[in-house]
Amino acid sequence: MNQLQIDIGSTYFKTNDNGKINQYFRNFDISIHQDLVNNCSQILSKYQKEEVSICSSANGGLSTLIIGVTSLFSLKYATNIAFNSGINIIDTILYSKIDEAVAPAETINVVIVVGGIDGVESKFDEKLIAYLKDVNYQNIVYVGNIEGQKFLDENIENLMILQNIIDDKLHIREDELKAYLTNLYQADITGKEDIKELYKFTSNQIYSTPYIVNNALPKLKTLFDVADPFIVIDIGGATTDIHYSTDLVDNKNILTGSGFDRLVFKKLGVFKSRESLVFGAKSNEFVYELLDYLGVNEHILDDSSDKATVTLMQLAIFLVLYQVSNHHNDYVSLKLEILNSIVLTGGVSKVLSDEDIDKIISFFYKKILNYRETPNVITDRNYEIWTLGIEEIHNVSQ
Amino acid sequence: MRVVTGVVGNDIHVVANRLIEISLRDRGFEVFNLGVNTYLEEFIDAVIETDADLLLISSLNGEAEGWSRDLLFHKSRFDLDGVLFAIGGNLSVGEATQEEIVPKYKAYGYDLVFHQIDLNEGLDTIEVALKESI
Amino acid sequence: MFQTERNIITRTPYTDSFDFDEIKEFIAGASKNLFISHKFKNSNKILVQPRGGFPTYDKVFELYGEFTNAGVDVLPLTIDSNTRLNDYEMAKKMLALSEENDENMLNGYPLINHGYRTTRKMVTHYDTPISLRHGTPDARLLIEVALASGIFEIEGGPITYLLPYSKNFPLDKAFLYWKYVERVCAEYSELNEPINRESFGPLSATLQPPAIVIVIQLLEMLLSLEEGVKSFSVSFSQTGSMSQDIVSSNVIKKMARKYANKIGCGDADIHLVYHQWMGAFPRDKEFSDSLINTSTVIASMIRADKMITKTRDEAFGIPTKEVNASAVRNTQYTLNMLRGIPSITDEEEEENLTEMVDDIMEAVFNDSADTLWRQVFNSIKSGIIDIPFSPHIINNGEAITVRDKNYNIRFYERGNVPISDKCLAFERSKVDLCGKSLVDHIIDDIGIML
Repeated sequence: MNQLQIDIGSTYFKTNDNGKINQYFRNFDISIHQDLVNNCSQILSKYQKEEVSICSSANGGLSTLIIGVTSLFSLKYATNIAFNSGINIIDTILYSKIDEAVAPAETINVVIVVGGIDGVESKFDEKLIAYLKDVNYQNIVYVGNIEGQKFLDENIENLMILQNIIDDKLHIREDELKAYLTNLYQADITGKEDIKELYKFTSNQIYSTPYIVNNALPKLKTLFDVADPFIVIDIGGATTDIHYSTDLVDNKNILTGSGFDRLVFKKLGVFKSRESLVFGAKSNEFVYELLDYLGVNEHILDDSSDKATVTLMQLAIFLVLYQVSNHHNDYVSLKLEILNSIVLTGGVSKVLSDEDIDKIISFFYKKILNYRETPNVITDRNYEIWTLGIEEIHNVSQ
Repeated sequence: MRVVTGVVGNDIHVVANRLIEISLRDRGFEVFNLGVNTYLEEFIDAVIETDADLLLISSLNGEAEGWSRDLLFHKSRFDLDGVLFAIGGNLSVGEATQEEIVPKYKAYGYDLVFHQIDLNEGLDTIEVALKESI
Repeated sequence: MFQTERNIITRTPYTDSFDFDEIKEFIAGASKNLFISHKFKNSNKILVQPRGGFPTYDKVFELYGEFTNAGVDVLPLTIDSNTRLNDYEMAKKMLALSEENDENMLNGYPLINHGYRTTRKMVTHYDTPISLRHGTPDARLLIEVALASGIFEIEGGPITYLLPYSKNFPLDKAFLYWKYVERVCAEYSELNEPINRESFGPLSATLQPPAIVIVIQLLEMLLSLEEGVKSFSVSFSQTGSMSQDIVSSNVIKKMARKYANKIGCGDADIHLVYHQWMGAFPRDKEFSDSLINTSTVIASMIRADKMITKTRDEAFGIPTKEVNASAVRNTQYTLNMLRGIPSITDEEEEENLTEMVDDIMEAVFNDSADTLWRQVFNSIKSGIIDIPFSPHIINNGEAITVRDKNYNIRFYERGNVPISDKCLAFERSKVDLCGKSLVDHIIDDIGIML
C-alpha cells in the first residue's frame, strides 16, 4: 500500500516514503509546516491526504498537571495513563498538600483531577477551586468519583468529566482517560498551532510520537533481534523516554495488559535540557568513577565539543538506568537483572558508536548491579521504530 | 461500614487473607482486600480513596513489627481521625505474651491489637469498638 | 526470527553455551524410554511419579537411584524457587553453598546453573522419563535447558503456574512466554517421539471448583495444541470426594476430546493425570497412609494415565528420599490390586458439571479478542474464570465454594462465573451450612483430612 509516514521531532523530522527513510534538521525560524514544504514537497505531492500518517513530539509534547488524593492510587494511576498516552511533562500534586502547592508558571495543556472510588463522599472542595484560579490551563478533565462531579462541574468552566479511573476494587480503569489524552492533539489547543497546520497534509489523526513508539513494542521482534523483557531508551534533545516490559516491575498494583509502560525523564536531554542533565550527573555518586572509566575528566561536561556530546549521551544512558534501578526508588524500579535486551533510539543512535554504548552499559551492569553479563543491546540506527508503530495504529483504524 | 484489609510481608498467606475477607463480608462490611504483600503506604492510601471506617491489617509471622514503626508518620500525612486501626495475627517473631505485644503495637498507633486471637473473637471486638466510636 | 529469539534467550552466562545443532541431533537420537509420550502409548498401567528435588547433582542422582529401586515409572525434577523467579545469580550462589557445606540451601534443582551437558548425563543414565516441575511464569530458558538435557515432559502453563503463586506478574506476559514454550516443544516433537506438555490442575489446592479446574485445563491444552504440541496431559487433584473425582474425570476426558477436535487438533494424544491429595495432610502417619491408598484407588477408578504421589511425612516438611521411595513402592503395590475395576458414574452430576464447563467455555470464546490467549486473559480479568484463593490481583476473587455433606466442592457464590441459574441452584441445593457461619464452614472444609 502507498504510505507516507512523517515523524516531527524536536530537533529532526523524518519521513518514511514507502520504506525509504529520510531525515532533516528542523529549521526553527520557520513553522513546521513550512519546513516540511521546503524540504519534502516532492515527496508530499506523491501522496493523497489519507495515505499520509503523522506523529509528532515537537514542542515537547503536551504538559499535564495531575491533582489527586493519594500517591499510590489517584496520582499513580493517572500518571501511568498519561505517560502511556504520550504525555511528556507531568507534575503531580497531592491534594492534602494543595495549600502549600505553588501554581506552575507555564501554561498547562491539561489538568487532571482524580480521587476516590464511586460511592463515597467527594474528595474536593473550595481549596481546589482556589488553587486552580492561579493555574493557567487550557483543558481540565475530572476522572474522580461520581460524587465529586456536581461540585466540580458547577465551579469549573469547560470541565470534561470522564469515567472514574479507580474502579470499585481499587483497580485502574484506563480506557476513557487514555482515549481523551491521546486525542488531545486533535483537539483545539492554543500554542500548538504548528501541529494543527499539519492537518493540511493528512486526513488521519496525528498522534504523539511516544504513544506511537509504545504501540510498536509488541511487534518490535519483527524489526530487531530483541527478546522480552526489554526496555527502549529514547534519548532526545529535551527529554528521555523509557518504555519497559511490565514484568520488569515488582510489587505494582497496576495491571493493564498492555505489555509495555512508559516513563519520561523530562529534564534529561542533551540539548535543551543539557544543564539539568549535567546537574543530575554531577550529583550522582558514581559519576567521577564513571568519567574516569570513560577516560575523560569533569571539565568535558562544560565543553561543547563532539566528544562532550558523546559523553553527555553516555551519562544520559547511565542516569536513566540508574534512576529505574533498585538504587533509586522513584515512580518505578525495574528488575534490570532479568533484562534480555536494551534498545536505544532517538538522537543517541546518531552520535554513539556501538563501542560507546557497550562501554556505558557494561559499566552500569558491572559497577552498579554487580552482574557479569550485560543484556543484548540494539541501536535503532535508521530510527525506524516509530514507523512500526504508525503502521500498527494505521492497521487498527482501517 | 467500609474496611480495607490485607496481609503484610513477603510470605504468601492467601488462605487466611481470603477467610478474613469472607468473614467481613458475611458480617455486612464492604471490603477492599489488598491481598498479600501489601505495603503500609498502600494501606493508608486505600483508606483515603475508599473513606474506610476500619483498617484491618493481618500479619502471620511477626513481619509487622519493624514495618509498623512508620505508622504514626504515615497517619500524620492525612486526616485519619475516625478511622479505626486494627492489626491481628501472629505479631511477634519469637515467643511473646499479650502483655508485651499489645502496648507495643498501641504505641505504634493501632487502636486494636490481636495477638494470636481467634478470628471470630477479634472481629466481634472490632464490631463493638466501631459501634462505640459512632 | 524465532531462532533469533531463542539465541538471545539462551545466551547467558548462567548456563553452558547452547549448541542447537548438537541438541537437535541428541533429541533425534534419544532413547524412546526418555519420552513419557512413548511410555503412555506402550503401557497398560497407571504411571507412578513421585515429587522431589535437591540442589546438588549428587543428591538428585541418589534420589533417582532410590526411586528406581522402588519401581518408579516417571522421575520428577523439581526446580528451586530462585530459578522460578529468574534469579539465576542467587541460585548460583546458593548452589555453591549447598555443594560446599553438604546442606540444602535451595528447595530444588537449579537446572539452569547446572546446565544441560551435566544434567543430560544423569538423565541418560537412568533412561526413564523425567517430568519438569517448576512454577515459573517465564520458563523460556528453563525449558530450553530441560529439553536439551533430555527432560521430555514439561509441566505448567500460563494460568496454572501463575495465578496460584504470584500477585503481580503480568498475565499477558505469561501467555506470551508460554507460547514460546509451546513452540519449542512443538519443534522438538518433530524429531523423535512428541514432547509431552502437562497442565497443573491442582491450582491453589484449596476448594477449587471442578468446573473452573476443567475449563483452565481445557484452555491451557488448546493454547498448547494450537502451537503444534502433539501430546498433552490434563490434570486435577483429589477433591476430597470420590464421587466428584469420578464425575470430573469423565467430564474432563470427554471435553478435552471435544474441544481439541473443535480447533482441528484431534490428532493429538491427550492424557489424564491425577494428583494425590494436595491439601493439608494429617499429622498422624497412619492416616496419611490411608489417605494415599485411597487416592490410589480413586486414580484407578478414574483410569488416570499417571498419578503423582505424596508421602506419609507430608505434614512434616520435605520427605527424605527413603520415605519418598517407599511411597512409590506402596502405591505400586496398591495399584496392582486394582486391575479391572468397574467404571461407575453419577449421571445427574455429570450433566450438571458438563453444562457448567460448556457455559464458561462459551463465554470465553464469545470474547471479542482475536486470539485465544487474549480471550482467556479478558475472561480472567472479568471474572468469567475465577480461582478461589489465588493471590493474583487480576483474579476476580468473588466466587466462593464450600463442601456439601458428601464433601463435594460446590459453588456457593458464583461471582461473575457464567454458570446458569439452574446449575447454581443445583449446586446450592446440595449445601447445608448446618447453622455454622460461612467462614467456619469453609475452615472445616479446608481441613477435612486433618
